[in-house]
Amino acid sequence: MTAVALDGIVLGLQFGILGVGLTLVYGLGGIVNLAHGQMAVLAAIVTARLIDSGSPAVVAAFVGVVAVSVLGVVLDLTLMRPVYRQQGEHRVLLGLLLMLGVGFVIDGLLEWRYPIEALSLRFQGDPIPVLGVAMRRGSLVASAISVAAGGVLVMLLRWTTFGRATRSVIQDETGARLCGINPAAVRTVVFGVSGALAGLVAITVAMTRPVVSTDGVNLTTFGLIVAVVGGLGSVPGAFLAGIILGVVNTISAFYIGSYVSTILLLLAAATTLLLRPRGLLGIG
Amino acid sequence: MIRAYAPIAIATAVLACVPALFAGSPSMMTVVTAGLVFAAYAIAFNLIFGSTGQLFLCTGALAGIGGFGSAILSDRLGVPMVLSIGIAGAAASVVGGALSWVAVSRSLGTIFTGIVTLTFSLAFQNFVLGRGDLTGGENGLRISAGSDGVLDHQVAPYYVFLALVAVYLVLFRRIQRSRMGWAFRALRDDEVAAKLAGVAVARYRIYAGAIGSAMLGVAGAVFAHHRSFIGTTTYGFANVDIRVLVMVAFGGIGSLLGPILGATAFTALDEVLVDYAQLREVLYGVVSVVLFLGFRRGAAPTIVDSWNRRSSRWSVAKRADSAPEADSR
Amino acid sequence: MTDELLIVDSLSAGYLGEDVVHDVSLTVAAGEVVAVIGSNGSGKSTMLQSVCGLLAPSGGSVRFDGVELAGVKAHRIARSGLVYVPAERHLFPHMSVRENLFLGAYPTRPSADQLGMVYRVFPRLEERTGQLAGTLSGGEQQMLAVGRALMAGPRLLILDEPSTGLSPILASEAYAALVELRRDGLTVLVAEQQVPLALDLADRGYVLDRGRIELTGTSSQLAADEGVQRAYLGV
Repeated sequence: MTAVALDGIVLGLQFGILGVGLTLVYGLGGIVNLAHGQMAVLAAIVTARLIDSGSPAVVAAFVGVVAVSVLGVVLDLTLMRPVYRQQGEHRVLLGLLLMLGVGFVIDGLLEWRYPIEALSLRFQGDPIPVLGVAMRRGSLVASAISVAAGGVLVMLLRWTTFGRATRSVIQDETGARLCGINPAAVRTVVFGVSGALAGLVAITVAMTRPVVSTDGVNLTTFGLIVAVVGGLGSVPGAFLAGIILGVVNTISAFYIGSYVSTILLLLAAATTLLLRPRGLLGIG
Repeated sequence: MIRAYAPIAIATAVLACVPALFAGSPSMMTVVTAGLVFAAYAIAFNLIFGSTGQLFLCTGALAGIGGFGSAILSDRLGVPMVLSIGIAGAAASVVGGALSWVAVSRSLGTIFTGIVTLTFSLAFQNFVLGRGDLTGGENGLRISAGSDGVLDHQVAPYYVFLALVAVYLVLFRRIQRSRMGWAFRALRDDEVAAKLAGVAVARYRIYAGAIGSAMLGVAGAVFAHHRSFIGTTTYGFANVDIRVLVMVAFGGIGSLLGPILGATAFTALDEVLVDYAQLREVLYGVVSVVLFLGFRRGAAPTIVDSWNRRSSRWSVAKRADSAPEADSR
Repeated sequence: MTDELLIVDSLSAGYLGEDVVHDVSLTVAAGEVVAVIGSNGSGKSTMLQSVCGLLAPSGGSVRFDGVELAGVKAHRIARSGLVYVPAERHLFPHMSVRENLFLGAYPTRPSADQLGMVYRVFPRLEERTGQLAGTLSGGEQQMLAVGRALMAGPRLLILDEPSTGLSPILASEAYAALVELRRDGLTVLVAEQQVPLALDLADRGYVLDRGRIELTGTSSQLAADEGVQRAYLGV
């Protein structure tokens, strides 16, 4: 039981980072990034290609994460511009449909060029006991990275001027502008951060299981569910929802069996959404 | 009255001539028949999304309920095929109506409706994969019912689907011209006015969800019996939902013949690109991005419009929200 | 004149192609307090919003310290020292009073002096420093909105209806604080429909009616005007 729960937490931390990337971009500009998981997979494949061609894994992973971060910035500066000019539901719908299209482009390109490419990062050495459970080194490193990334992000948001500016745009965009904050610039930076987080998720997942080129849609969906259950726009909510859903998913997969557990997870998400449309820690 | 249905008659007559071109080629008949199935899906999606603004990202799953449902009913339980198609369509209708009811009663906006239905899509896919004993799982499901009847011929199935499409178009038109259609046009113009007029918008949304889902279920079921084999991708999200969305966007969201136009255009495009099948997904992604970005009202109506009025593309795009039916005149 | 800080010239503005404000001209000199008075719907907010960049004017020009503002983005205008406090306040409800004030000084990190200056004007805010802005009372929210604007070190403070949603006593208190700021030499443009409050504070005033300037003069001239008395002072 402890072993299963710990595995759930490992997965949940990854879910959490996935959801945070989505929730930030939605909170700031109303964009539901349906290409988030595909961006993650793109980072994994870039990393895998670099490792294949002889780069050290750390360098390759870094380049993969940066590449996707740049992609996020580019998307924000190009495709998303007309979206930000729209208001309300029109904006959300246009952003969602455009990112759906982008997701398919990335998915299609990866499946066309690298159909059998996969990223798997292994760590040498014996398992390390945690609470009496022998944990694989990959899982521990992955979790450490997730926790560090989450911690750094929360600290940046809470205590830096730019982090405060980011939260201000989420809470009241007009107010932010009157304080001299440029929402467009904040959105661009955060889209880049969100891309980097997506890349980081792919790297950490690759430490626990292989990431293949067709994983994008699944990652997007899980990230979306986490973000929605946590309350779109709420960073702590996304972390919380990620860990809860990760644990629930792993435990039910262990005791019930795989397909029912996924359906249960989806049902749980839908139910949460219906009971609390703003999510667990939704704001506004 | 006659004018309102004339476009349907003309479109049906034109489509009826298609087999004359390809009758000699079984593979081409398969392609154009599949094109009609997508036209049927697109009309149903257009009713739910285009007319009443509910973003159902579970077109494939609802069609799949029809397909797998009817296949299991007829092959496993010996239900006569026509009856099993009806039952499966009703099941899809109940599910779609329920989704719509949830969306309306919790007043979920566009995205939340989209996310809930997307979640349902995935749950359905997981079910199909998980219950391999019923659905064939990854290996797919061979269907014997219908394999020796009219649906197995080359040309006849085409006309079966054409009849289905014609019926769907008439249904779409009738709904458009009913109180319900007026209600949604009023809503688009002025939400407050429509509410004050006592229009039961919520109820109409659920009707549209249920009717559209029934259309999807029946089309999916007939398709299953026609193909005699269905797999996980037959009703998959990438294969159905994204294509239908792009087709409707191309033809003009909310317009009567837009889905036909979109289905025709993309079926033709698929054939042209048959040697580059791997790139199809990329292409669909690119096309959808371009469509949503530049032609919010649908490429076809926009192009026709700018041809007619020689007005700039941008002014047409801006008019998009208030002009629901361009090609009905 | 060289000491005019703000020059609004023939400004027109509105929504969806329909002008609400027509051909408005006014000036504010450095160190001056100017009031724009008018009833609800006279176009005060529309005019101020197009001055501070939240709304693109449809015609005319706005010059701040010699620089044309038409077409400049709101955040740039704010950073140039023209700071606007909207009637709706637009505070950040899930942040503490302190964080709201910090954001007022964006993009720099405020010094203890800046914070202390605001706390001197509004001691109440210091008591509530850790409280979330969304949970403050109406009067405290108004103090915070003005306080946040002061953090930017404004050269011109523009206030839209600072008395909105406040009881008469709280409204007078809010204006008492403004009198103090005026004594410190702050330049203020204030729009108000509580005309007595505004004229007590201001040196000069403009009367805005249905989007046009109908009358202008010193505060005492306006207070003595029969039309103003009948329309706004209930005499």
